Order: sequence, then structure tokens, then C-alpha cells
Amino acid sequence: MSHLLDLKGIEKHYELGKTTVTALRGVDLQVERGEFTVVTGPSGSGKTTLLNIIGCLDRASKGSYVLDGVDVSERDFDDLAEVRNQKIGFIFQSFNLIPVLDVAENIEFPCAVRKNPEDAKKLRARVNALAKRVGLEPYLRHKPDELSGGQRQRVAIARALITEPRLVLADEPTANLDSTTSEAIIDLMLELNKEQGVTFLFSTHDPRVVKHAKRALQIQDGKIHDGAGH
Amino acid sequence: MALLKLAVRNLRRNRRRTAITLAAMVIGITGMTALRGFINGQRETMVENVVRGRIGALQVHHKGYVQNVLTSPLQLDMADTPELRKKLADTPHVIAVSPRIEFGAMVSTPDKQPPPEDGSMLPEADQGKTSFFIATAVEPENEAKVTPRRTNLVKVGHMPASPEAPELVLNADFALGLDAKLHEAGAPLPPIEQQLALLAGDRDGALNGENVVLGGTFPSFSPGDKRVGLVPLVIAQRVLRMEGRVTEYGIAVDALSEVDGVKDALQAKLGPDYEVHTWSELFPFIKSLNGTQDFIFSIISAVFLAVVLLGILNAMLMTVLERTREIGTMLAVGMRRRQIIRLFMLEGAVIGTAGVMLGLAVGLALVTWFNHHGIPLPAPGATVDSIVRPYVTSRFIAGIFAGTPLGAALATLWPAWRASRLRPVEALATA
Repeated sequence: MSHLLDLKGIEKHYELGKTTVTALRGVDLQVERGEFTVVTGPSGSGKTTLLNIIGCLDRASKGSYVLDGVDVSERDFDDLAEVRNQKIGFIFQSFNLIPVLDVAENIEFPCAVRKNPEDAKKLRARVNALAKRVGLEPYLRHKPDELSGGQRQRVAIARALITEPRLVLADEPTANLDSTTSEAIIDLMLELNKEQGVTFLFSTHDPRVVKHAKRALQIQDGKIHDGAGH
Repeated sequence: MALLKLAVRNLRRNRRRTAITLAAMVIGITGMTALRGFINGQRETMVENVVRGRIGALQVHHKGYVQNVLTSPLQLDMADTPELRKKLADTPHVIAVSPRIEFGAMVSTPDKQPPPEDGSMLPEADQGKTSFFIATAVEPENEAKVTPRRTNLVKVGHMPASPEAPELVLNADFALGLDAKLHEAGAPLPPIEQQLALLAGDRDGALNGENVVLGGTFPSFSPGDKRVGLVPLVIAQRVLRMEGRVTEYGIAVDALSEVDGVKDALQAKLGPDYEVHTWSELFPFIKSLNGTQDFIFSIISAVFLAVVLLGILNAMLMTVLERTREIGTMLAVGMRRRQIIRLFMLEGAVIGTAGVMLGLAVGLALVTWFNHHGIPLPAPGATVDSIVRPYVTSRFIAGIFAGTPLGAALATLWPAWRASRLRPVEALATA
């Protein structure tokens, strides 16, 4: 069976005025289905750049990237949007919920913007089930500003999972949470990883997240070093 | 999630900004509606004054009359026969026909004192006055059907009782200047030496006269029409030696929109010896005035529209700036660029629809109120009470209703396009 992610020789250069800054220098990375992987490294090491490329939010300057058997290196903008919508769930450090939508609407948003949205009743049933699973059932009609940080991140997790993605990318998901909430969120993601077999890939500085990871990748100066997992 | 629902909620997000944008739209649309209504009302009053107050919807003359009206109008006359009148009256949409003679005349008032027995001159203040005026000879009953506004305005005194009644109706200011005394309706005629004299040259240039009294007066419709008066047709025909002849027929129609068709029908019926003119051909300045008004209205509307649409554009640019990160999130989870464009254009269209509904509601309420109560606005120099009753057509309402949301949506096109071109990775990195 092929890898879920297969990156070969990925480079990323940014033009800053007359200077070219290199963020990634020939990254080779394979991630298997169902992995719970963290990417760590100091600020500016290239973690976020790598996650952006893996998440199809940005393109590599060089190299190839195959996601779930599909080469996405040369896809156009709308194709990448489709890939993101179908295959990837995102959990952001600042939750990035849409403030005018309530919890249920935020969760269903990625499905609602599809070209051919599924039946509204079926979708709402899935939303309710997922909300129940992440402990948000009593808050379905609440707006994001009526929720705590932990609850907001649960909404983001549910939103990431509603499309039944192959991969969930989480960029510093516990950075804005207190330690107790962080633990709860990590536990939730581990459970979902086990239950649903969804692949999780994190960038983090948080040792608690690293502690739970099955595989830890260290990135430094744009190069990746595969480290030990737990 | 319907994009429309999201668009509506986004507009409610920054209520103050939305309210300001909406207020600008409401003011603009109310202003445009009220102005259009006023122009329409003023235009209708002007046309009403001309058509139903002076000339009729159409006029029929002998061929060449209009072109030679200043030189030899009496030579270009027509036999006034029952057959001709019937031919005119039987034309579809014609509701009344009024035979007339337009001619230049003089009216003299009697001396206030008998002449001194010693043969000396009367003091100037006691002498009668003679003055020139433009006379329109009419059959009062038929004229009242063609230009009811004019005949209805004879509030002091009365219209001549019949085409043979020796009674003049003069412009009130003109009659006042002559110091002519009003003759009570039904009262016996005063002695000849106390009557007015109507004098006019006939077609051969011979001066003839008739004794008449002042039956009534009417106010001025517009500046420059003070030296005018109505004369009973038979009296004028006797003075002008034109028994059984007229120089024009005034025609009334059931709807002014039909005048062009009626003109063609009349011309076809009458043949090449006659000419038919519509009111707008006889008063071409009204058409050019309408054109000028429409041009000015277009400029004002364009300014209103530009201000309103720039307001929307500015508000939407601000919105894109504020929601950059949110747009990045939407793009990240799979929203396509055209959906982003549609979302912002929908926001523009929604605010445009709300603005047009409120603006039209206020504008139409104003127009309706003023239409009901009227705006007294006599033409400069006129003494007739001209009441302007503003109105707008359903076409104008439909145009505004369809055009404003569309314009608002188009005004958001640029901000929407900018939002859709954001790269998710950069948009998400925005603070």
C-alpha cells in the first residue's frame, strides 16, 4: 500500500526584495496512514512552511508531493481547494472559527461549500453525532464568542473531521490553551486517531503533544530529521 | 449553508458600518425618486397648461399656415363645414373639436366722460384707451372641451354665453390696464357709447369693428401672454369678414400618448390641403426642455449613484481587510474562489436590495404625499395657480429596483475579486 504522504526533494524559497530566503532544503518525508506524528523545531525552522505545503495551502518551489496517491505538486488553485476539502482537515492555533456561524454551522461549513453538498438532514445528523463525540452537544447553537478556548478548539477538531479526511493537520493546536484543556484536547485527538484511523500531523513546541506522538520529526534549517516516537 | 444566509449575517456583523452604507443608499434613492417625481409632475403640469390650457392636443390648419403664421394667417383659412367637423370628430381617440380664428385685434374702452360741449379735449385720465392684443375666436362650448383649463380659469365673470354673444374674455392684467369694466352675466347691455369696441383688419386690410362688453377675465399661464383674449367665433367672423370660415381646429384626444397616431389618421383623412400638428410640434421648446431636464437628472443621478456605490465599495474593501484571515480559513477548508466572489457580491446585493427597498419606500411616500397635497409652483411671471403633483412611473421604480442591487453587487466586484485572489497561506498568517 502506498504512503499517505510522499514528499521528495521539497524545497521552498521566498523572494524578499532582492534576497532569496530558503525555508525548506530538499525535504523527503513519507507518512503512513493512521500515524500520529509531530513536527518540532525552533521558530523559523520551516515547520509551518512544511505543514502549509503538506496542507496544499502553499506550493513547493521544487520537488514532488503525492497525497493519498495523487500528485498534487502541479494542481491549480481550485483543484487544490478541492483536494483540501476532500482529503485534509485543518486545526489552527487560533481556532479560526467563523464568528457569524454557530457551532453546528461551523462544523458543517467544509461540507456545505462543496460543489454537490450532501443532503442537509444527513449532514446535520453527522454534525450532531460528531459534536456529541467531541463534547459539544449542548453548545450546537452557540456562537464561537460564547465558548471557551477549549470548546472552540473542539469545534475546530469537529470541523476538521466532518469531511472524513485522510489527514488532519494541526498547527500548534494547544498553544492558546491552558494545560488541563491541552491535555483534554490531545486525548481527544488520540482517541479519534485510534477510533477513526485518521492520520494526524502536528507542528508543535508543546512537550505534552510530543510525549503522545507515535513519531516525532525534528526540523532544523529547512531539513528534516526523523526522531524517535513513543 | 446558503451563501445568502452567510452574506446577511456578515452584514449584521458591523451594524454601524452597514447602517451608514444603508443610510447613504436610502438618501440617494430617496433623492432620486423625489427629484424624478418632481420633474415628472412639473413636466405634466407644463404640458397640461399648454395642451388643456392653450392649444389642444393637436391643431388642424390649412396647408402652410404654421409656417406663415406671422405674415398672412387669415389668407390661409378653411371653410368651416359640418362635414369637415364630422370628419375630424369621427377619428379614433378624438373627443372634441373646437373651430378657431387666431388674429390680431384692438380693443378700445369708452371715454369716462361725455365730450365737452365746447369741443375741447377730455383730460387724458378720462379718455378711453385702445390697445392691441392677440385674439382667439372660439365657440365657447366646444373650446371648453378642448382647453378646459383655460375656460375653467375664467373665475372673474364668465365665458361668452354663445358664439354670437358680444362678449370678450381678456387676460386679467390686460383688462386691468385698459380699465375695462366687467359686464354682469344676464344684465342688459349698456348703451353703445359705454361698450368696448373690438377692431380688426380683415383679409383685405380694411378695419372693421363690433361693439362688445367684457364678459370675464382669466389669469396668465406664462410670461408674455398678457395681451391675449377670447372672442366669440361669430363676432370675430363678422369683424374679419370671414363668415363660415376658420383658421384652425383645436383637437382634444382621450390620451396624449395617442397624438402621433391621431395626427397620422387625421392627415390621411384630410389630404394634402391641410396640415396637422401635435402639441409638441407646436411647442418644440417643451421637448428640448424635457431633454435638458432628463440630461440634468441623469447627471444628478450619476453623482448620487457614484457616491452610493463608492460608499459600498469602500465598506467592502474595509470588510475584506478585516476578514482576511477568515477568508483564508474559508479557502483552507475548500471554499472556491468563485464562491468567495459570490459571497461578497451577495453582501453587496443584499445591502443594495435593503437600500433600494427603504429608499423607494421613503421616496415613494414623499412623492405620494406631495402628489396628494400638490406643490403650488406657478411659472415665473404667471398668475395661474399651477399645482405640481409629483409622480413616478412603474418603469422608473422597476429600473431603480433592478438596477440598484445589481449596481451594488458590481461595486463589490473589485473587493470580492481581491478577496478571492488571496493566497490562503498569506491570509491565514494575517493578524
